[in-house]
This record gives sequence, C-alpha cells and structure tokens, in this order.
Amino acid sequence: MATLSMQEELEALRHAIETTPIDSEEEAEAFRIRFLGQRSGQITHLFKRIREAPPEERPRIGQQLNTLKRLAEQRLEEARARLRQAARPRTEVPDLTLPGRRTFTGSLHPLTQTLEAIIRVFEQLGFSVAEGPEIEDDWHNFTALNFPPDHPARDMQDTFFLHQGASYREAVVLRTHTSPVQIRVMERMAPPIRIIAPGRVYRNEAVSYKSFCLFHQVEGLYVDRNVSMGDLKQVLHLFARALFGEDVRMRFRPSFFPFTEPSAEVDIWWPLPDHPEGGQWMEILGCGMVHPNVFRAVGIDPEVYTGYAFGMGVERIAMLRYGIDDIRLFYENDLRFLEQF
Amino acid sequence: MKLSYRWLQQYIDLDLSPSELAEALIGLGLEVEEVEPLGTDLSGVVIGHVLEVRPHPNADRLTLCRVDLGSGEPVSIVCGAPNVAAGQKVAVATPGTTLLLTDREGNRQPVTIRKTKIRGEVSEGMICAEDELGLSDDHSGILVLPDDAPVGRPFVEYLQQQGLTVPDYRLEVSLTPNRADAASHIGVARDLSALLDRPLRRPEVAVPEPGGEAARQVQVTIDASEACPRYVALLVRNVRIGPSPLWLRQRLAAIGLRSINNVVDVTNYVLHECGQPLHAFDFDRLIGGRIHVRLARAGEQFTTLDGKTRQLPEGALLICDAERPVALAGIMGGENSEVTDTTTNILIESAYFDPSTIRRTAKALGLQTDSSYRFERGVDAGLQRWAAARAAQLIVEVAGGEIVPGVVDVQMRKFTPRSVTLRLPRLAQVLGTEIPSDEVRRILDRLGFEPKPEGEALRCTVPLYRPDVHEEIDLIEEVARVHGYDRLPMPEAFVVPARVSDEPPAQALRRRVRTLLAGFGLREIYTNSLLPREVVRRFVPASGTDHQTDASHLVETLNPVSAEMAVLRPSLLPGLVQTIVYNQNRGQQVLRFFEFGRVFARTDRPDTLVPGFAEHEALILGLSGPHAPEGWDVQPRLTDFFDLKGLVETLLDTLHLSDRIALIPAESPEPTAAYQVNLVADGRVLGTLARLSDALQEAYELRAPLYYAELNWDAFAEIAHPAQQRRYRPFSRFPEVDRDLAVLVDRDQPVGPLLETIREAGGELLRHVGVFDLYEGERIPSGKKSVAFSLRFGADRTLTDEEVDACVEAILQQLERRFGAQLRR
Repeated sequence: MATLSMQEELEALRHAIETTPIDSEEEAEAFRIRFLGQRSGQITHLFKRIREAPPEERPRIGQQLNTLKRLAEQRLEEARARLRQAARPRTEVPDLTLPGRRTFTGSLHPLTQTLEAIIRVFEQLGFSVAEGPEIEDDWHNFTALNFPPDHPARDMQDTFFLHQGASYREAVVLRTHTSPVQIRVMERMAPPIRIIAPGRVYRNEAVSYKSFCLFHQVEGLYVDRNVSMGDLKQVLHLFARALFGEDVRMRFRPSFFPFTEPSAEVDIWWPLPDHPEGGQWMEILGCGMVHPNVFRAVGIDPEVYTGYAFGMGVERIAMLRYGIDDIRLFYENDLRFLEQF
Repeated sequence: MKLSYRWLQQYIDLDLSPSELAEALIGLGLEVEEVEPLGTDLSGVVIGHVLEVRPHPNADRLTLCRVDLGSGEPVSIVCGAPNVAAGQKVAVATPGTTLLLTDREGNRQPVTIRKTKIRGEVSEGMICAEDELGLSDDHSGILVLPDDAPVGRPFVEYLQQQGLTVPDYRLEVSLTPNRADAASHIGVARDLSALLDRPLRRPEVAVPEPGGEAARQVQVTIDASEACPRYVALLVRNVRIGPSPLWLRQRLAAIGLRSINNVVDVTNYVLHECGQPLHAFDFDRLIGGRIHVRLARAGEQFTTLDGKTRQLPEGALLICDAERPVALAGIMGGENSEVTDTTTNILIESAYFDPSTIRRTAKALGLQTDSSYRFERGVDAGLQRWAAARAAQLIVEVAGGEIVPGVVDVQMRKFTPRSVTLRLPRLAQVLGTEIPSDEVRRILDRLGFEPKPEGEALRCTVPLYRPDVHEEIDLIEEVARVHGYDRLPMPEAFVVPARVSDEPPAQALRRRVRTLLAGFGLREIYTNSLLPREVVRRFVPASGTDHQTDASHLVETLNPVSAEMAVLRPSLLPGLVQTIVYNQNRGQQVLRFFEFGRVFARTDRPDTLVPGFAEHEALILGLSGPHAPEGWDVQPRLTDFFDLKGLVETLLDTLHLSDRIALIPAESPEPTAAYQVNLVADGRVLGTLARLSDALQEAYELRAPLYYAELNWDAFAEIAHPAQQRRYRPFSRFPEVDRDLAVLVDRDQPVGPLLETIREAGGELLRHVGVFDLYEGERIPSGKKSVAFSLRFGADRTLTDEEVDACVEAILQQLERRFGAQLRR
C-alpha cells in the first residue's frame, strides 16, 4: 500500500508543480519553498521517504523524483526570467523617420567605370594590361606603325607637336592613339604576346560636342603563330556580348589603317525606338591583322607569326552605354553629371 | 564622295535596291553614310502644251494657263514661274501626284498635288521645274521641253527615250585613303562586278596614239618631273559653248554638281565617271599654244577661276603657258584661261600629278576640290589618254566641233605594274578559313589583278589604279573584303594562353585606391591635360626657385588649334582648382574630388622613354566646403587641414604604409601653398598636403579654403606595392592596459615631438598612443596648453600595474625633461 500511495503522491506532486501559478516574485519564492525548500520542500520530503519503499522500487522512484526536481527548477527559472523581463523599463523608441547621420557620397568617373568594364572582359580572356607614355616619338607613334612619311596625321593640323627636328623622324608628339604601346611591348617581349593598353590620346582638334582635344583608347594586341582573322572576330564578338548583351548584333566592314591589313571597323546595332529603321549601326572600334611592316619594324618575322590588333574609344562606348550626347561633359566635371554614376 | 545610283547602272547590271546597294558597298569597304532619294514616282506627270497664258486677276506674280494634256478639254493651271509662255511643251504634275518640293526653310518635303483654288482661280495641276521633278537643282523656271515632245505622253516614258531613268538616289560615300581606285562610278562598279560576279561595262572610246596633228599644234614641257610624271593634252576645235543637255545636267545634279556649260560639264562628268580629273583650257588664251609645267617660285601669286588671288606655298605645282601660270595643277584652273561663252578651241589636260605634292598644296591653301581629292589619293597612271579621249568624244557630242587627230603624251617616268604572288595556304591561314581557289581567282580577276595559277599560288599583276597594293597581305585583304568579312567563320573554342594575365603594380594599386577614395566620399574627375598659358602661369613661378616645375620645365605644344591647349599640365592642381570654381559657381558647396592622371615636364634626365621629356602618373585629392553632410545634430563647420590629413592617414593605414611614410611639415612650402606637409619615404618626397595659397584662393574667388594632397603616384606605388604583400604575425592574447596622461606644455609647443618622445620612452610595451584632448583656457595657467594622450600598453604576458606605472612615469620624466611638461592633475 505504501508504494502505491507513494506513486500517487508523485503524480499529485507533478500536477502541482505544473499547475501552480507563478506571476510575482512572492509567488516564485513560495513556489521554491514549497517544492524545492531544503527543509520542508515537498520533493526533499519525498526523497527522505524513499527508504519506505521496497528496495527493488527505490531506484525508479529516485529517478522520478530527480525528473520532478528538474521540472520544478525549470519552471522556476522560466518564471523568474519572465518576471525580470516584465520588471525592466521599456527602451525608448526614437523618431525612426529622422534621416541618418551620413558620410559624403563618392563616385568613380563614368570613363573609369567604362574602362574597367572593358578591361575586365579582356583580362578574363587572358590579356595583360600594359601602359606607355603619352609623349611619344615619331618612331613609336608613326614610323614603326607603317605610316608613310607624308601621312596626313604627321601634319601640324592634326597632331600636337612638342618638338620638330630637321627630319620628320625627330618629331616628338602627344600620342595620337594607343597603338605605340604595341610597338613598345613588341620591342621588349617575344611572342606570344596578348596585351591590352588603355590610355589617353590627343588630337589637335577644335572642341565641340562630338570631339575633344583628347580622349581615351583601349588597344589590344595578340601575336602568336597561326593567329587568324577568325580569331579576331571571335574575341571582339565575345567582347561585344560581354559589354552590350548576349544578343548584340555586330558588323565587320573593311576599312583602312596603316598598321593593319586586312583592316576592319566594327559596328554594333543600336536600337532606337524613334528611328525610322528601328535603330542604327554604331561604330565602336577599329581592328585588323598586324601589318607585316609593323612586325618587320620590331624584328618579328611575319612569316612565322601573325597577329591581330584592335583599338576602341572609351568615350564613344561610354556615350553609348549611358546615352551621353556631348563628349565635353566628361571633362567639365559638373557635379550634377558626376553624381549620376 | 557622291555617287548616283542610276549612273552606276550604266556600267553594271544592278538589281539591288538603293539601300541594298548601300549595304553591299559597306561590305566592300566603301562606307555609305547616306542614301538620299532625289525625286519621287513621276507616273502622274504628263507632257502638256501651254495653249494660253494670261495674268492672274488677283496676284501680280502668278499667271493663268490653259494647258492641253492630250485628253480632251484643256485644264487651267495657275503658274508662278517667270518663263512660262504660250506654245511651250511642259511637264505637268496632275492631281494625285506626289513631288518633293522645297519648303520655306529650304528642306525638300513630299507634297501631293491637288485640284485647288489659288487666289480664287481654279488650278488643276502644276507645271514643274527641274528640281521638282528630281532632275537637277534648277528652280529658275519651269522645264521647257523641245517642241517635238508628244503631248499627253507620260513624262517618265519621254525621259526613258532620252536615256534617263527617274527617280535617282544619291549615295554619300566616305572613302578610306587607300581606295583611290574607287573614287569614281566605274571604280565602284568594278568592286560591284567582283562582288556580284558580273561584267563591268566601260564606255567604248577610240584612244588616239601619241603624236599626230595635236602634237604639232601644242608643245608640252615638264620642268618638275617628280611632281608631274605624265601630262596628256588633246585638242578639240570649233566647239559651241552652251548649256548641257538634260541627261548631262541630271547626272551632275545627282551628285550635287552645278551645271556650268557643256564643255566644263563634260570634264566633270568624265572625272566622276572614271576618276581622272581633267581640265579644259580655252586654247586660244594659252599664249604661244604652249604648256609648261613647273614648281611655283617663292612668293608667287595666282588667281584661280573662283576669282581669288592666292599666295602659293612652297612646292606648289603650276601649269603655265609661254608666259604665265594658267592653272594650279591638280587643284583648280586659272581665271585667265578658263572656258567662256566665246571659247571655240579647247585643250583638254589629263595628267598624273604626284599625290603628296597636290596634298601639301591643297592643305596649305585650305582648298580641296574634286580634282585634288583624287590626285592626292593617286589616280590611275595608265588612264590619262583614255580619259582625254573620252572627254573629247563627249564634247563633240554635246558641243560640236572636231577632235584634232593625235595627242600629246609626255611621260617623265614609266609606270610598270607590280607583280605580287598570293599563296593560297597563307590566305587560309590569315583568314582562318579556306576560300575555294576558283572564287579567289574570280575575285582577283574581276578586280583586274589578272591572276595566273602557279602551283598553290596565284601570280597577280597589280593594275596601276591600285597603288595601295604592294604585297601579298594586300591581296589577302582584297579577297577577304569581296568574299565578305561577315562570312569569315569564328573558331568554336577560345584558347586562353597558359599564362595568367598580370597587371603592373601601380595600376593594381590605383584600382584599389580609386575605390577607397570614392568610399571616403570623394568624386573622381577627369580634367584636360592641356592648359592655357595664363592658367599655368598662376601656378608655376617664372623661374628662380628650386622647384622642379618652374616655367623652364613646362612642356608646350608647338601648334595648338587653340590657345586653350598651349601647355601640358605640370601638376593636377590647376585642373582641380578649375573644377572647384566651376562647381562653386553653379551653387555647389560640397567640393570633394580626386583625379589620377599624367603630369609632364621637360628634363635633362637620360633615363626617360622619350629623351628630353618626363611624365609620371599623379594623384590629387581636394577638399573644400562643409566638413560633413548637414544633419539635425551636426555642428556645421568648414573642412580644414586635419580633415584632409586624417583622410590621408586613414588611406596610408589601410595600405599598411603608416610606418613607411612620414608626414613632415615643409620648411618652404611651394608657391601654391599657404602651408604644407610633405609625405616622405626614405628621405624622398612622394607628395604634399597643403592649403591653397591665399593669393590663388583670392584669384579664383574661392568661397572656402581648398585643402589638397598631390602625390607622385609612380613613386608612391613603388613604396606601397611591397607593403601589400602581407605576412601574418602572431598577436598577443594577453589583456592590454589603457592609461590616460594629460600634461601642460607651452602653448606654441607642437604636439608631434611630444608624440615621438612618448613612443620612444614607452618602448616595447607601448602599443598605441593617441591625442584625445587639447585645451587652452581659464582652467590652466596662461601661456600653457593641456594635451591629453591615451596610452595603451601590452606584452606577451599579463602586465602588472607596477610595470605600467613605471612606464608612464618614464614617459612623463622624458616629457618633463625635454619640453618642461607638467602632469596635469
């Protein structure tokens, strides 16, 4: 009978532990004393009576009592946490609609952003970046690039001269394109060569909405055995897709540059909703196979090596990308322009 | 260059529409910029007979015409042309016809003719002028047809009987400088004949042999054989100068040329037909019946047929008679020998002039003509006699007269066609695809290269009209462009070299710093590398200083189109200041910018890429205006030097350069600076931080002071690059101890040396020192200031209070000893 009543007492105790309300510090203390008190707590009390049970049942009862003890401790802990939380004063909520404390906003120039986008594409395709001087000599800017001595670009009208000697070969100019970097790289490296050369170039032109006395180019050069025009088309097609989207339409048409043969200009189709034909072809770059005379000038055998070169205007591509219609905006540095990028 | 669609059709069967033709030409490398329709559908235009003309009752300048259109009752038409008269045969646009008419602004607009009332009088059509029909640009009066024109016949049919087709289209072509051969209708038709694989039809011309009667009547001598290697002269006698027939006027009008008279029109026609410029002299005005070709003498003047007297540049080539110049060779004829209404005998000049001679002279005179355009590209050295004979034949056709038999043909140099071999395997290798050899042969044959197979190669003879073709690669281009660039296949895979792409360190670092500076709230700018002299003068002392950038080191352009581009920037500062001023004047207050760019100087250093000139990459930062964005609890103040210095210090910290680069006040600031701190590494000055001088601030009317930092980026990157290679160092996991130390020192005692002393005295245990307060005022003795330092100590063990106290004590002792500092309690 004694064990039966012990079992009943345990059930009653579990019920009491689970249902006794604890809604204040006083009730919590009463709860602790009633169930867990060292002297007269009900659980303590039952522990003391454990020996009244038959020896074979004592371990089971001991286990049950331990479980009840943990239950009581857990309820007490939860209740105290709840009460502490309720007792804490509420955090004051500030006016959350006030503007935040800001730092100044900076920006990268649209030409930098465009240039970086161009460079990123070619770096992924294994091109290294090379740079050259903006002040160039006749050899690198003209002669080695197969410009004939009486080429119009050698005229004072088109090119900024910094020095003129007795012969055209002594001239020092502001480079008119980034192609001299091709020569400088080929003079110091043997093929295979795969570089791009970004930089500033100069034209002695009056300033207008479509031309400035300087602009930026990215030059590309690839020289190896068996480089073909198909390779050139492929790399530029990859480039155009990366920059202007997967479904860009591209056109290669024959053109002329002294330092490439065959030469081509590349257009992309630019959709314009208001245009009668739905868009128009926009020239984005010039390119071609490196002229054998250029290889001869730098001591590379054109029978062994072939190569391609291309050059594009960064301003032109930026104007297309952003819908800018006046090249002077790039150099005016009006904050109302800069903050849009 | 302008082309006529209909004119081209004379030389090749073309079933391409004008826009298809444009596409085809672009594919061939002849860039068509515009296709312009020159007229409309003329099927509603019929030939009428003006029966009666009387004045309009309500308008002085209008007349009322009764016109028979061959269909019963005559119609009434109100006409505004001054030349309308009874009895004329005219072209009448009947109601419903759409014509291109010129509006008040001079633009051609489509207008549909309707039955209408003009000032109260009924008008049932329009009597047309040539421009309204798209035949020419003549709007001086209505087109009057010959009396035998059949009344009532559609006008288009009548035109077809005259060999004219309407409407025509004008193609504007931008020729690359290498394509001299394509500067004519026959030249373009030749490209099309290769593209379409159709025969080229050249006009039949009886070309006379040199000598004969002509050679007895004209004497030609050449004293400038370089500039004039060949001169052909042909005589036509007893011509009647008059207006050109409609077909000739229509052709010239289609390419935008004004009709002059029948003889001059023929020379222009032949130029645009075959590319050989011709000149017609009034033979009777050539003194001595002689032609003498020579270079201009120094200071010589000449009056060209446009009535302008021109100072001739050195090296200009002149055509003279026995006594005086009569033409500026290859560019423009002279007033003194031009064909006039009374001319009866004509000398036709057909020459080969040296391209660069003509180009230099034309450029020097700023005078480009259809003739110089072709000579400077290089005309066909084999075409002179053919072209002269073709012109003579047409002159006789349109102006009567007879050709004097024979021709003068003086050749100072023999032009022999080059021979160039094209290897088919090389062609395939360069293009990346194999083009069938019979297609290659066909293309080269149509272009006139007479290919002869030799094993796996074709031996080609380069025609004289292709001076641009020198070697095999040029033939490869010819084949490629006719075959079609767009048809060259692209490889399916992309081969990446077995080498990682690299980037120069200065550039990798520049990318990083750009992003950092934008993150610090600065906006990147791009300014002009070329500056006006007066701007540079404000920034650069004339001479007499020890600065690298005095005026004697400036790089100047020899020939700028504008004085705005006179000097290459020696520093980025002028561009920065101009940007600040520009934006300040547009109401902007937050002026925080940076720029990367090259700066330039003349130099004697032997190691520059281009001797005599040095350039390097520079970086400039500039701050002006409020120190922080406005805010509801921000105390506004202007940005100051320590905002700039802090920014630079943070940048150096981020790049792990704080212990490599020191900031040291400059003893003698540059002239542009009010005060200045130098960035120094290994005793070398890499750049400066400064406040813009008061003089410049005043000169530019800057409303707030400008603080700027300019770095020699190349030198900076050289120092900074190695510091980017980081190695991990185990750090102490023991707690650190913080102490504060406030001392009183003399008011004018700089803090820098105190910090140095603290670091020195603190030794290994002192991990960090900062300044957290600076005070002058009532609570301390006058003439003194209080500086409060925060100190942090640490070691690879737990420090005891006694150790830290001893260290603070040592620091204080040193401060006392060196600066008389007293502990502030």
